[in-house]
Amino acid sequence: MLKYFINTVFLLSCLVLFSQNDTQSNDTIIKNKYGLRVGIDLFNPVNAFFDEGRKGLELVGDYRISKKLFIAAELGYLEDVSDEDFINATTNGSYIKAGIDYNAYENWLNMENAIYVGFRYGYSTFSQTLNSFTVNNDPFLDDLATVESGQKFDNLNAQWAEIVLGIKVETLNNLYLGFSFSGKKMITTKEPKGFKNLFVPGFNRVFLNNSGFGFNYTISYLIPLYKKDK
Amino acid sequence: MKKTLLTLVALLLVITGCERDDICIDEITPHLVVRFYNNDDQTLLKKFSQLSVKIMGVENDSINFSSNDSILIPLKTTEDITRFIITLDSDQNTFNRDTLTVAYGREDVFVGRSCGFKTIFNNANYTLQTDSENWILDTEIITQTIDNETTAHVKIFH
Repeated sequence: MLKYFINTVFLLSCLVLFSQNDTQSNDTIIKNKYGLRVGIDLFNPVNAFFDEGRKGLELVGDYRISKKLFIAAELGYLEDVSDEDFINATTNGSYIKAGIDYNAYENWLNMENAIYVGFRYGYSTFSQTLNSFTVNNDPFLDDLATVESGQKFDNLNAQWAEIVLGIKVETLNNLYLGFSFSGKKMITTKEPKGFKNLFVPGFNRVFLNNSGFGFNYTISYLIPLYKKDK
Repeated sequence: MKKTLLTLVALLLVITGCERDDICIDEITPHLVVRFYNNDDQTLLKKFSQLSVKIMGVENDSINFSSNDSILIPLKTTEDITRFIITLDSDQNTFNRDTLTVAYGREDVFVGRSCGFKTIFNNANYTLQTDSENWILDTEIITQTIDNETTAHVKIFH
C-alpha cells in the first residue's frame, strides 16, 4: 500500500516538473486547472441527525487526467442498523471505490464545473451482528417472542460495480460542492452462514435483486498542480 | 453524448428499481398438517363434519374447521410442546373432546429480510390423553420432521 502511495507522490512530482517547463505565454488561451481534488462526504454526518442507526465517514478524491476524464476514488467507514419487521441487525465495516468520471459538461471560458457520469468498482470488508429476531409464525399464536441473539458474523466481504451521475460546482476558488447519485450492482459477496448480508458499507441496503443505490453530498478542495489548455 | 447520458439514466433506474422485498412471500414457520383416516379401513380418508381446535396457553379462541379430511394447525415456537384440545362435532350437543400433545425439538432458520426467521421442528412425537370415550382411536406418524406444509405429518384415525 505504502509503495503505491510513494509511487503516486513521485508521479505527481514529475507532473509538477513538467508543468514548469511549459513556456506558453499567450494570455487569450483558456487553460484548465489540473490537480488533485480531495473532499469529504456530507451525507452521513447530516443524515446522522435524522437516522441514529447510521454513522459513517467518507473521503473522496479525484485526479484529472485529461480535459474530460478524472480518476476518482472514495474511501469510507460505515455502521448501520437494519431494523426490519422480524430482524434487527448491525453492519459495520470499511470500503473503497475506484473508477473513472467523465465530465459531459462543456464549460464556458475558464469555468470548472462538471456534470459527470462515472463508473466505480467497489470493495468492502465488514461484519454483521444479528441483534435480535422474532420467529415468524402463524399470528394466531399471540406469543411471538423476540429472541435476543447477538450472534456475530465476521470476515464478510463484497465486490460491486457502480454507475455514478453527479454534478460538481466550483463555488469559491478551488472549492467545490457536489452531489451524486449512484446505482450499484453486486458482483460477488461472501454471505454469512445461516444469515444474509442485509447491508454492505458503501453499497448500502442490498435489495432483492442484489442491487443498491446511494446518494452523496460532497465538499472538496482542488489542489491545483498545473494548467493545460486542453 | 446526450443520448448516452439518457441511456445511462434509464439503466440506473432499471438496476435500482423493482423494490419488492418489503413483503414476505416466502414460507414461514410450517403448520402441523394432520390428515383424518377411517379406523376400519386405514387406507381411506375420512372427513369430519365439524371440528374445533383449541391451543392450551393461547388467549385466542378455537380454530374451526368444517367438512374436511385434513387440517393445518400452528405449533408453538416458544416451547418444545404444544397441547391441542380437538373437539369433534363441536357444533352439536354430542361433541367429544380429546387432548393431543405434540412434543418436538426446534431449530430457527433464516428465511429472508422481510420474513425474518422461521422455526422447523424435528423428532415430533404425539401423545393422546385417554379418557372414557376417545373419538381419536389411533395416530400414526408420517414424518417426524416438520419443515414444510406440502405433505401431511401425522394421521388421525377415527
